[in-house]
Amino acid sequence: MLFNTIDFAIFLPIVVISYYLIPYKYRWVLLLAASYYFYMSWKVEYILLIVASTLVDYISGIKMGQLENRRSRLPWLILSICVNLGLLFSFKYFNFATENLNLLFQKVGLSQEIPAMSLLLPVGISFYTFQTLSYSIDVYFGRQKAEKHLGYFALYVSFFPQLVAGPIERFSRLAPQLKLRHKLSYDNLTNGLRLILYGLFIKMVVADNISGIVDQVYAHPENFGSIDILKGIMLYSFQIYSDFFGYSTIAIGSALLLGIRIMDNFKSPYLAKNISEFWQRWHISLSTWFRDYLYFPLGGNRVSKYRWVLNILVVFLISGLWHGANWTFIIWGLLFGLLYMGERLVNGAFKLQKVHSAYSAGHILLAIKTFFLVSILWVFFRSQSFEGAISIFKLLFQDGPANPQYLLIPLSTWIFLMLFIVSDILLYNKRFDSWVGRLPYLLRWVIYGVLIFGIIVFAGVENFPFIYFQF
Amino acid sequence: MRERWTYIVLKAVSILVLFLVMNLLYKQLFFEKDLQLYSSLINLVRDVPLEADIIYLGESSNNSAREDDLDKRKISDFIADQYPCLALYDLTKPAAHAGIFKVLLQHMPEESEVETVIVTLTLRSFNAQWIHSPLETSLRKSLVLLKPYPPLYNRFLLSFKAYDIKTKEEREADFQEQWLADELHFPYEFPHKDVQKWDRWMAYSGIRDKSGEVDRAQTELACHYIKAYGFQIDTLKNPRMAEFDAIVDLARERGWNLVFNLMAENMEKAEQLVGDDLIFLMNENRELLLNYYRAKGVLVVDNLSGVEDSQFTDQNWTTEHYAEKGRKAIAKRVAAAMKIWYPDDYWEAGY
Repeated sequence: MLFNTIDFAIFLPIVVISYYLIPYKYRWVLLLAASYYFYMSWKVEYILLIVASTLVDYISGIKMGQLENRRSRLPWLILSICVNLGLLFSFKYFNFATENLNLLFQKVGLSQEIPAMSLLLPVGISFYTFQTLSYSIDVYFGRQKAEKHLGYFALYVSFFPQLVAGPIERFSRLAPQLKLRHKLSYDNLTNGLRLILYGLFIKMVVADNISGIVDQVYAHPENFGSIDILKGIMLYSFQIYSDFFGYSTIAIGSALLLGIRIMDNFKSPYLAKNISEFWQRWHISLSTWFRDYLYFPLGGNRVSKYRWVLNILVVFLISGLWHGANWTFIIWGLLFGLLYMGERLVNGAFKLQKVHSAYSAGHILLAIKTFFLVSILWVFFRSQSFEGAISIFKLLFQDGPANPQYLLIPLSTWIFLMLFIVSDILLYNKRFDSWVGRLPYLLRWVIYGVLIFGIIVFAGVENFPFIYFQF
Repeated sequence: MRERWTYIVLKAVSILVLFLVMNLLYKQLFFEKDLQLYSSLINLVRDVPLEADIIYLGESSNNSAREDDLDKRKISDFIADQYPCLALYDLTKPAAHAGIFKVLLQHMPEESEVETVIVTLTLRSFNAQWIHSPLETSLRKSLVLLKPYPPLYNRFLLSFKAYDIKTKEEREADFQEQWLADELHFPYEFPHKDVQKWDRWMAYSGIRDKSGEVDRAQTELACHYIKAYGFQIDTLKNPRMAEFDAIVDLARERGWNLVFNLMAENMEKAEQLVGDDLIFLMNENRELLLNYYRAKGVLVVDNLSGVEDSQFTDQNWTTEHYAEKGRKAIAKRVAAAMKIWYPDDYWEAGY
């Protein structure tokens, strides 16, 4: 059940209305049932994976909670990690690993071949396994008390607004809210609806209208001239941002209708002045997850320079791999790591750490630079193979075919893209719901009108699933 | 309290007005463009003049021809030959079926003078693979803007994918599931419980050529025939029946003479490749359709075995694509059957 379908438009109001109508003690049952139903709408059998992950982490958590020292808790943490990463490996990385191993066998002259598995990747598996892993690790370190109520724990793992594409929430933030007796609040309702409206607009009108154009370029780059390839590259940067930002915004809005606040996942990332800031503004829940559960345990920056370099590369490499089982993602992650360190090096050497105030010339120039660098790296992310990415770059600097195909970008797509860029600039360090709520009544309703009309009339009609669902 | 209610009512009215204005704007400025982009099949209906007497609704069977045909015209043209004084128009859409025809007919203007509607009835369209065909998604999408609701609401349904929007994989899973669910019943002992088992048996045992070797191409074709015709229509569960029933109801409502043109299938090849068991099922389904729709007052023209093997254009696949002689044979039977309504207008063609 995608957020931008009629099914969700029916499902969400039913859940919200029922949530406020039924007695408080049954609310978790309703939300859990709704979340499982939401997930089963993709493939019924895959609910078993969530249930397995939930049960293992619940039991591990309880057991760890009963044990005094870390050493005795360790086996339970290992169990939790093995089960979660095992599931992730089986469904997401097994075929990638066997494919590469088979290639290696071939190279060294071995005739063995490990057969591939034909398994469909369960939607959102990378998100909920990471979410539940964070709980186990927190309990292990004693930062989090083990949850005794299986129902609430299961709901934490599967809470439908953020189940399939995040934001990846921490137990300490989400679980207490699930237990609160939320009263129907006019502010939550209006703010939630505002966010859903804005998110739908960003996804359906901006992202989905760009998708088809970008697909043309990446499917047959050899048919296009370098200018059109450049347009394709730039447009993909906006496509992936609007697609994922739109999804996260709808998720946050949907949760807010139930009185639950989930974390912001984006803060105008393309206005970041450098790569480091970009990652503080892009997919924040994943960046902070890697920071807290990988970078810090590796020693962070309180280690030797060489070790720090290694830590950074490991974090970015694993972050790349998290996105998908393909060399393109690994290279994308590694390049981000190198770029991050390169920038740190240059900034340090030339003392470029100067703080630029928002919207100043310095800020704008640095943001443009960051945007271009990130856009170049997105080529690896979007391409099906490393060779594909390289061919895009080669074609970018070649003359192109004698009779090139021209990339047709409708005027309406340009207009909506511009609207999105302007709104992103206006909303720098702000959120749409609170920003629009402060506007004069009439202007506010004009904006609602434009958004509603845009969603209905200009939404892309092809079925482009959310990009991050595949992760 | 009263003020609060006034505020709520005022807001509700404002929202209603907002939607009314949006609907008007959309209808005036964007609807036609969207129709041409996403539902251009409406043009098939628009192209039919109000004075048309007969309309023929067909899929690719109507306009497929073989290269060596001297006369490459459509089946509907051949029917028109036999009623020279009547105006016959066709609405041909490849891969269409009763679900699409129903919507097209619903859009026939009230002022239209059409008296007779001929609808293609393809036996194969009742099978699981056609019902769950990957083409369904785009066909269903093309119907959304044609729903009988305000244009803005239709566009909302289109934007929010309010149609059968399954992926190719999901549809494949659906027909595989149906193959397993639909058990085959014969009045005699039959070794295969369902079409999937029958298909597998054929694939494993294979068809042998004169030298005794398994002929892969023929075996594959036989398997394909089993999957295409190895089913028994359930009048209550088969969605195609409901769609044809809706056409019958609509014809009754609009006072049209209704003809169902049961298209020819390559029964010779079916018998040669698979044998009597498959022919039994095809005949059983034929009888069911004839009896069921004749009882509802529809003129059902039985062409199922009316075209010989050599007249089927595709020899390596199941299609209802016929060469000239085949198309003419079908047209002749349909035209002859329609004499009951137009005895004075009928002119017997020389083919």
